[in-house]
Amino acid sequence: MSGSKLPLKFAIIAAVIVLAAWYVYPPGENINLGLDLRGGAHILMQVDTDSALNYEMELTQSRIGQALKDEGITYDAIVPKGTSGLELRGADPTREEDIRELLQDYVGGWDLSNLGNASYSMVMPTSVRNYITTAAIETTLSTLRNRVDGLGVREPIIQKQGLQGDRILIQLPGVEDISQVKDILQDPAVLEWKEVTYPPGTVDTGTWLAPQSMEGLLAVFGGTLPADTEVFEQVILSEDGTVTTRLFWPLKRVSVVVGNDLKNARRGNDQWGDANISFELSQDAGRRFGVATKENVGRKMAIVLGGTRSKEVISAPVIRSQIFDQGVIEGGFSIQDAENLALKLRSGSLPTQVDIIEERTVGPSLGLDSIKAGVMAALIGFIGVLIFMVIYYRFSGINAVVALTLNLLLVLGMMAAIGATLTLPGIAGLVLVVGMAVDSNVLIFERIREELRLGKTVRSAVDQGFGRAFLTIIDCNITTLVAAFFLFSYGTGPVKGFAVTLTIGLAASLFTAVFVSRQLFELVLGRGHRVEKLSI
Amino acid sequence: MFQILKQTNIDFMSRRKVYLAFSGLLMIISLAMLGVKWLNMGIEFTGGTEMQVKYVASPDLSDIRTALKGAGLGNPVVTTIGDTDLHEVYIRLGVKAEDGKEGDLTSRVMGALHTTADKANHDSGMVNLNETNQEALQLKLRAAPLLTDDEADALAASISVYRRENAVIGSYEELDGLAGMTPGAMEYLRNQMFIGQFALRSQSFIGPAIGAELLEKAMWAVLGSLAGVLLYIGIRFQFQWGVAALAALFHDTVITLGLFSLFNQQMSLPVVAAFLTLIGYSVNDTVVVFDRIRENLRLRGNQKLVDVVNKSLNQTLSRTVITSGSTWFVVVGLWILGGEALRPFAFVLTIGVIVGTYSSICIASPVLVMWREAILRKKVGGGARNS
Repeated sequence: MSGSKLPLKFAIIAAVIVLAAWYVYPPGENINLGLDLRGGAHILMQVDTDSALNYEMELTQSRIGQALKDEGITYDAIVPKGTSGLELRGADPTREEDIRELLQDYVGGWDLSNLGNASYSMVMPTSVRNYITTAAIETTLSTLRNRVDGLGVREPIIQKQGLQGDRILIQLPGVEDISQVKDILQDPAVLEWKEVTYPPGTVDTGTWLAPQSMEGLLAVFGGTLPADTEVFEQVILSEDGTVTTRLFWPLKRVSVVVGNDLKNARRGNDQWGDANISFELSQDAGRRFGVATKENVGRKMAIVLGGTRSKEVISAPVIRSQIFDQGVIEGGFSIQDAENLALKLRSGSLPTQVDIIEERTVGPSLGLDSIKAGVMAALIGFIGVLIFMVIYYRFSGINAVVALTLNLLLVLGMMAAIGATLTLPGIAGLVLVVGMAVDSNVLIFERIREELRLGKTVRSAVDQGFGRAFLTIIDCNITTLVAAFFLFSYGTGPVKGFAVTLTIGLAASLFTAVFVSRQLFELVLGRGHRVEKLSI
Repeated sequence: MFQILKQTNIDFMSRRKVYLAFSGLLMIISLAMLGVKWLNMGIEFTGGTEMQVKYVASPDLSDIRTALKGAGLGNPVVTTIGDTDLHEVYIRLGVKAEDGKEGDLTSRVMGALHTTADKANHDSGMVNLNETNQEALQLKLRAAPLLTDDEADALAASISVYRRENAVIGSYEELDGLAGMTPGAMEYLRNQMFIGQFALRSQSFIGPAIGAELLEKAMWAVLGSLAGVLLYIGIRFQFQWGVAALAALFHDTVITLGLFSLFNQQMSLPVVAAFLTLIGYSVNDTVVVFDRIRENLRLRGNQKLVDVVNKSLNQTLSRTVITSGSTWFVVVGLWILGGEALRPFAFVLTIGVIVGTYSSICIASPVLVMWREAILRKKVGGGARNS
């Protein structure tokens, strides 16, 4: 190792130290603490996608049955086949062409086949299944997101989890009273149709759009809203899911139609081939809807989806004519948009079931205790090891002290840099990293001692010590990383934090024990003069 | 040079059959232990509700049990956590209550634990200082006639900080010195609020499905990491070395599990993490020895395999002792000082470091030697010759 490269290597080390310190400082703000340390609620919810699929199957079954009756086509039965198929049996053999057309109309996207014997098989293809499943999850996710936003918790986390992505993880730092939160999250979503309260003097009711701010809304009403009116927001998203516009709709408190009144909603086409959504109401609701729509022809009616606490306008179509129990929503929809809205209407009328499958709450006092105890244990372990190294290896021990301290700094720095979360097992991981990082130093130092015993010069003992121990250190680290990898892929929350700490710590120890420690030796040995004795 | 071990020359290998017999016995005992008692599985694996409650005064566990039984919550586990003078109680329930209702039972437990006096206070609209949150406290204090809104907010904050630091408020006297406390405010607190007998410190609910899933995942993770180790050592060394290392790991895992079961420690996710760390740690030790054996084999000349292994074990012995010693020191520190939550985790590593160090010397190397000898004997047609 030539002395001339030494300054460069020290510059690298210095740069790493500065960078790590810059990321870490101040540690209280830059290291993310897990909920087990800072206190808060962790809730894992399971979206019951099967219920959405079953609902879709049942709906399709009854829709086709109804359509066949309407067309005057006789049949014996429509029965479920497996979990994702239907079979039409004993259909009028003389109407084969009509049946084919009808099925094409209703379940065109499905795999259809004529089984002979006047029987037809309809199987929901995986693509449709996936679509319904995804839509059910997305709808639930956005509903939950709205509700969590409404809680006013700082830095909440809401994300999909699980192999199928059908679990939703919600983390609410600082929340202690979980029972209230659970009520809000599990509140079933309901669909409602509400009349719009127009500002006084509105002429063009068909094209009127709600203002984009609460102030704007109050302004058009001259400061106060009528007593029978409530404000609901509509969030318009761009294609990448970012909020582009918020509209503030003034709607009548009393709803015209609510969720269970809706019997069905599906995507259809108008006579020009544009996508629309046709819906069907129960008879009773149809009568009410008839009265309300008669009064509101040419005006808008808003469709509101949400629980009892947070509701959102999902669409506000114009009423073109009086509607009883069957209607169509038009609006220049793309096929996808129409499909989505139909799905929202359906899932709103029967909300996808969401169950809490895991929840943990840690009070802030417990988190604080854990931090105190964990940090104390870590510090004692760390300082104990440092003292031992100095006593045992003398001058070279100081070298190890520098390497270990730098190791700790690097681990914290990297955790801050990648935004990793420090959990209670993670603190234990830090402790273990100290124990394991010291192993690399010990391996090298013991090897140097051995070489010295064999009568080698200090120079060549150090070279050989580092050289021979290097492969062993790599092997050791990789085998530990194998375990850490499985830990990471298996772990949830806190355990993942442990795996992350361990992995980062091992990587950092390679740098500190092998590279940094070596340069520190070079500092002593590389000055050109012969070193006769090494304090090790 | 300060040395714990002078240059040693211990003949480890001559007693290899003794080690294997000893370890074999320990493993049989451990497996029997597991067979009879299995493990004390935490709710993460069984599903259920658990919570940690801190009482103001020393709690009567049998009263708590009676109250919970009376509320139709079956026969929950009720124990103290940590020092008894901390008044902390751990309560654990199954997934279902007696009425068959499934789910989080925390609120029902809380309801059952409240004393009649506390319930009466609560019903008369008073606020429980040990259960309310900062916002609710703020609202209540703002209603106090003597306090301005700012004063109310400041007092609510300092009471919350006090509770955050002490977990539970024991008496009004404790609150006396708090920032923002005035005689008037104290009067108001005494009249409008009450000090409940306990505070909830943590609570978890795990559904039965996820419990079974986590257990399965944990087993796969352990098996996967064992297979990964076998694969890596198989590639870096040879297959038989990998098997020898695996034998040592299996040994460590089984014996530590046996002791874990014997001491009735509770299995949880972090404990599984500790087992995986133990696997990583123990194989680490084995690899150091194996590396040295391989290195010495290249230079061995006409030395016997047993002698090469012995020499390698002696050469690496001081490193093994120092590293294991320092790691053991930190995990014992974690065990003693790390708090209740980390104790089972530290338990596994405290035992595991010892067993793992022992196994890399007394299991992995003997298995390797005996296997190679067996292969050699086969090759020379049953002749009893050491390599």
